[in-house]
This record gives sequence, C-alpha cells and structure tokens, in this order.
Amino acid sequence: MSLNNGQTLTVSGQDMTKNGSSNRAPWDDARTGLKPSTPTRKPKPPKPENAITIVVSSRVLFNMEKEQQIYKQHGMEEYIKYQVEHETEPFSPGPAFSFIKALEAVNTRLRELYPESEELFDVVLMTNNHAYVGLRLINTINHHPELFIERFCMTGGNSPIGYLKAYHTNLYLSADPVKVREALEEGIAAAIMFTPEKMKEVSETQLRVAFDGDAVLFSDESERIYKAHGLDKFFEHEKTHENKPLDHGPLKGFLEVLGKLQKKFYDKGQRMDCPIRTYLVTARSAASSGARALKTLRSWGLEIDEALFLAGASKGPMLEKIRPHIFFDDQMFHVEGAAEMGTVACHVPYGEAQRVTKKAIKDKEISSAPK
Amino acid sequence: MVSTVLNTDVKQKDADHAVVIAVTSRAVFGSGADDDEVYGEGLAFPLLQALQRVNEHLLMNNPAELLLFDIVLLTTDSQQQQQSPRIISSTRHYGLEVGRFCFSSEEDFVENLLKNNVQLFLSTDRNEASQATQRGVLSALLDHQTASCPSEQLKVLFFGDAVIQPDTGPTPPSRQAARSFSAQLGEMQRRFTMSDSPLSIGLVTWRGGRDSCADALHTLRSRGVRVDEAYCLAEAPWGPILSVFRPHFLLSDGFGGLEG
Repeated sequence: MSLNNGQTLTVSGQDMTKNGSSNRAPWDDARTGLKPSTPTRKPKPPKPENAITIVVSSRVLFNMEKEQQIYKQHGMEEYIKYQVEHETEPFSPGPAFSFIKALEAVNTRLRELYPESEELFDVVLMTNNHAYVGLRLINTINHHPELFIERFCMTGGNSPIGYLKAYHTNLYLSADPVKVREALEEGIAAAIMFTPEKMKEVSETQLRVAFDGDAVLFSDESERIYKAHGLDKFFEHEKTHENKPLDHGPLKGFLEVLGKLQKKFYDKGQRMDCPIRTYLVTARSAASSGARALKTLRSWGLEIDEALFLAGASKGPMLEKIRPHIFFDDQMFHVEGAAEMGTVACHVPYGEAQRVTKKAIKDKEISSAPK
Repeated sequence: MVSTVLNTDVKQKDADHAVVIAVTSRAVFGSGADDDEVYGEGLAFPLLQALQRVNEHLLMNNPAELLLFDIVLLTTDSQQQQQSPRIISSTRHYGLEVGRFCFSSEEDFVENLLKNNVQLFLSTDRNEASQATQRGVLSALLDHQTASCPSEQLKVLFFGDAVIQPDTGPTPPSRQAARSFSAQLGEMQRRFTMSDSPLSIGLVTWRGGRDSCADALHTLRSRGVRVDEAYCLAEAPWGPILSVFRPHFLLSDGFGGLEG
C-alpha cells in the first residue's frame, strides 16, 4: 500500500484504480518473513492467467438445502438472519465437494513435480449471497482443510458473468440454469450441477472426469441429423463423414486443459500413476458412428483415456462402474439416469437437445434464490 | 483568503446530524470553455447525483429525516475562484443539491474542511487528498474509472487490505474519521431494506486470502455497515472488480494498520 500516511490508494506507486496487473510491492519479500505465520504454510494462489480457473457456486460446493427452503418460504431477511445466527456452523459437503477435493489432490502432485509452475487448478467460490452470509461460507472452508479456496466473489445478487469473463474461467459450475446458459453464450464452459440422492464413493487420489460426446465435447451438428432423420440416418451420415472432424462443443476446452496437465505427468514418467483420467461416455456406437468421434479428438490433438460407446444404452450403469467425480451431458435424460445411480452429473444446456426440453426446463426453473 | 457562500436555492441541512461531504469544483465541473456561461459536467457529476438520490430516498421514507448528505463544493483552483459566480450559477443551472460553496487557497483549504466539519473529502488531486488525510480528514481520490459511472445507487467500495500489524498506540485521526463515516453510512443503510436501498456497499481485499477478507467483514459489521458485495482477490487483478462494481469512490480504511 501507499508509503505515505494518506488514505489514497496506491500499491507500490501504481494507482489502485488503474486496470492493471498486480505488481508485487517492493517490500513483499522482506515482509513475508516478518508476517506472523499461520500454523500451516499455505501455498499462494496462482495468477489467474496462469491457472486453470474453476468457478463453483456455493450451492453446489455445499449443501444449503435447508437454508434454501427458508429463503423460499420466508424471504431474504429471514434467510440472512438464519445464516448469521448459524455462522459458526459449517455447511455439509454438496455435490461438487469431492470434485474440488480431487482438484486439490492433483495440485499437490503437480507441486511436487513442478514446484515453480503456476499451472494449477485455482478454485474460486462465486455466490449470489450477500457478504455476511459469506462469513459462514468462509468458516465452512476453514473447517475443511482439504479445500483450498482463497478467492471468492459475493455478488449480492448481481450477475457473475463479468467476473467469469475477466478471470479467464475454464469451467463454471452452478445450480442456476439461467447463469449457466448466460456463461455458455459468452463462450465459457459451464454446466448445471445436480445432487444425486445418494452419492457413490469416488477416488481420493485420481480425478476422474466423464464427458458425453455430442453437444458437449463436439458440436450438436450430428444430433440435429438424428433428431430430423432418425438413428439409422444418423449412423449412415456419421460413417460417410467419418474423416471430417466435428466442430467443437462447449467443453472441448476443458478436456484440453486436462490433457495438458496429464502430459505434465507423462513427461515425468507418471503415465501409469497419473492422477487425472478422462472418459468419453457416448450413445454413439463403436461399429459405426464412434469412429468419427475418435478421429475428431485425434485431429484436435486430444487424448481421452477411455471411450465407451453405448450404442444408445443407458449411461447410468457404466458410470457407476467408472465412478467419475463429475459427468457432463447435454441431455437431461442421461443426467437424471446418472444421478439416479449416484454419479454427480451436470447438464450442459447447449444445442439441439435443448429445443425440445426448453419448456420443461423453464417450468422447472428455480427462482433466483441466493446460491 | 477563505470564504463561504450559502446556496439559498437549497434547504440547509441540520449541522448536528448531516454527513458533510466536500467535493472539489474541479471534479464536478472540470474546465469549461471560456465563452460558455455554464460549466460542463465533470467526472464527479454522476457521484453528486447519486448522493442527491440517496437524500431523496431518505426524505421519501421520512420527510423529517436529518441524517442526510450535506454537500460542500470546494474551490481551491485560483482560476476557478475568479469565476466564482459561474460556479454558483452552474450549480444552480443543474439543480445540484450543494449546501455551501467554499473558496480558499491551496494553503488553507484543509482549515476550511475542518471548519466545515467535513467528514469526507473527494478530490481528483492526489496532493490535496493526501494533505487532507494527514490532518485527519477522511479523503478519497476520484478517478475517471470510478467516479463517472451513472448509476441508480450510490456505490461505495471499501478497500480492506489487512496488513497484519499490532494495533499499538492511539488511533490516528484519519482512521477515526473513517470509522465514524462508515458508521454513518451503516446508519443510512438501516433506513432501507436490502431490496430498495439507494446505497450499495462493497468490500474488496487484495493482499492476503479469505481470512483477511473475513477480518475486514467483521470490522465493517462491528461498525454497523451492511456489506452487499465482497471480493477476495488474493492478488488477482482488481480491474475487473472496478469495472463490474463501478464504485463512485473507494475508501481505504485503517483495517489493522493500512498506512505504510
């Protein structure tokens, strides 16, 4: 901060009000030694432009169902009063919790191999809540040492989109369909996370991410053919165009960053022991339409660890075997099927599949409750 | 020489209860063309309108309300001082709710601030802001990125970096001023519910992590301030916060020893 006694805002001579990157204050290094140290030496969060930024809303990171009910039934003031009264009571984990924990486990391994690198996951908490409810969220994070969240935005009801864009968000997870759609429209990978009735146990050491193919990794162009002309025509079309790569879908970028991190482990001889594993779980059939999917991935220079072609069969049982921390699909039918069997499934409201179900979703649309 | 002129167009505020804010005329009007009779709108114009809107809402709730912003227009620029009639007529032209005009030199303007019981001084000039702070007047530097955003609400952003230093010794007057000003903002907020408040208060912390932000939130809460939005940056760039929140001014406060 400013070296004079003034209340004017300068950080090492640079005006705080300028839209610039942060320069370290000249005394930073010296002071780090003098700062009263916290019991556990926390690593510093990476710069947003270097990190893989995962933005998660409070309602999916934690279980806030009870509080949601209070808001719905008694309104904002009661809701806040309740939150403040229970400020020191931590929330219990929500559906995104194990995924976020797994990201931290990957970070730990990355730091061991590349101590100087800032190419790490950076988890940011984004909430609609007013700041004083935020205190309960901070207390909850403090209660779970395996969560390493130092950045958050409490928007008090305003749209998070501006922040998502500014901080190079690689993935945004929320329970709010409106916000997720807005993010997708802005080109940000985003998905609506649902809470399974019972969550199956997942690995603590290996992050597993499962993707549907069409309208998630790939564009929805093939889905349109299927909708318009049926399954047979779809298979025919895919076979004919086998060598023409599909266009990319909203989550291609996220698969890409996962692949980049995987490569860092392979480069250090840890292919067998890689703490990240990716899956393609698609209704395409290995016999016909699957080839195009694989060739597309190859043309993008992307690898996927396991490709599962279900030829239209239900995805639930397969996912139950894989036990991913998170599964992305553009069709609610599959999302629900996965959730029924205990997989944390997220809906990517993108493309052709949304046209039919748009009305159904609108009916189910949650009111803009704090998240 | 120091002179104070009352604006007879505007009802004078109650000195015991009003929150006096001094803004420099250079910030409100900028430099107008010589031939025009009326100055153009300067960068603090939307800020003044926002302050007025808060007053309007306060009076709508309670016509007998005494906790209102009392705006003082301060002119230190000797060029503008020669145009004092134009400053007054421009103020009247725009219907700005300025209670008093103060004219003084660069040397004695701080005296003027103290005499007028100014609780917040807003200027585009870094030196002026710094001088005022050193004499114990809470000041904020206005900047084109902050002050000039038109908005329905008055938006105040607290910059709450907690530099961990032992809180020894007496509280500096500037920090006391910050405390009492923020307490008054809190008082104003309590006149409204969350959904209809003409005042929006944000907090941003840059250095340190979530615990620093939690500390700053606790401090503001202890002063009775309701923080609507909070951003804990942990050294991420602050530009986006300013662009999205769009504060009219930023207040840095002595959260555990901010100075130095």
